[in-house]
Amino acid sequence: MPAALHGDVDLTDPEEQTQTRALNQFLAGVELKAFKIAQAALRHEDDALDAVQDAMLQLARAYAKRPPEEWKPLFYRILENRVRDMQRRRTVRGRVMAWLPLRGEDDDEDSDPVAQAPSLEPQPVRRLELDEAVGALEKALERLPPRQRQAFLLRTLEGCDVAETALAMGCSEGSVKTHYFRAVQALRAQLGELYL
Amino acid sequence: MSLGGESLTEFERNARVVLEESVRRIDARTRSRLNQARHAALAASGRRRAWWSSFTLMPAAGAIAAALLVAVVLWHREPAGTQPLALDGQHPAVEDMELLTDNDSIDLIEGWDGSFYEWAAAQSDAGAESNS
Repeated sequence: MPAALHGDVDLTDPEEQTQTRALNQFLAGVELKAFKIAQAALRHEDDALDAVQDAMLQLARAYAKRPPEEWKPLFYRILENRVRDMQRRRTVRGRVMAWLPLRGEDDDEDSDPVAQAPSLEPQPVRRLELDEAVGALEKALERLPPRQRQAFLLRTLEGCDVAETALAMGCSEGSVKTHYFRAVQALRAQLGELYL
Repeated sequence: MSLGGESLTEFERNARVVLEESVRRIDARTRSRLNQARHAALAASGRRRAWWSSFTLMPAAGAIAAALLVAVVLWHREPAGTQPLALDGQHPAVEDMELLTDNDSIDLIEGWDGSFYEWAAAQSDAGAESNS
């Protein structure tokens, strides 16, 4: 009877099975939030998906053997590096494209309305309030400096503590506290108290 | 609700609710692509491990390679009888060293008399023929 395989992994090995299952569970738990964080930085859906995919691949290839409690800061560190690379590349591409004739930006966009429909609809009564709050917060986040936005999203959305955030951002815990405090101040100044 | 052990302000609680709502609204296409990316990452992780797992055979492969190397070396080694014979039980290298360092030998080479040696060789050949 042939061995059960996942990729080229022999899933009959209990240790491999456990690790693969743990990694799958971890990635499934962070992928949506990671996508939102990447999207807030890159402001482009496909680029954000690429960044998250690259971060997943790198974590799985290079750090799967590390203790699972280290995965979250490592993953967000990799994601942040990938986002920065893409921003740099975009800046270079922008300079080059400035010399070329204009063309449509969304030539290859998939516009299938069914596929792009929200997967989970909130209650109709609350929907309008949430629509406005989500839109306002996303716009306010776009206006934040990158490090403040990153600190705010890692702490508020992903729930990282100060140490994990510092590891993911590659800075001191003191810097994380400063970035986060300034982000909250700036967002509060723009949004009021975000009453829902 | 707390943020890493710290109590949250109302603003932070509301912000978290709004952010979680924005995550819930991620469309099905994006969710599907993220799901595919995750499975690709897990498969890549597996491929890497499978590749490294082949190194468990390295000791056996190394032993076989070493045995083959020894066999090749022994096979191509020259027979013992072809080694230059040492004079008076001395090692050939030691003998060569004496020749190189001996002033008499150098004098002999410097005063090379080709005709004498040719005559001596002819005498030796003639002697051998007369004996036979």
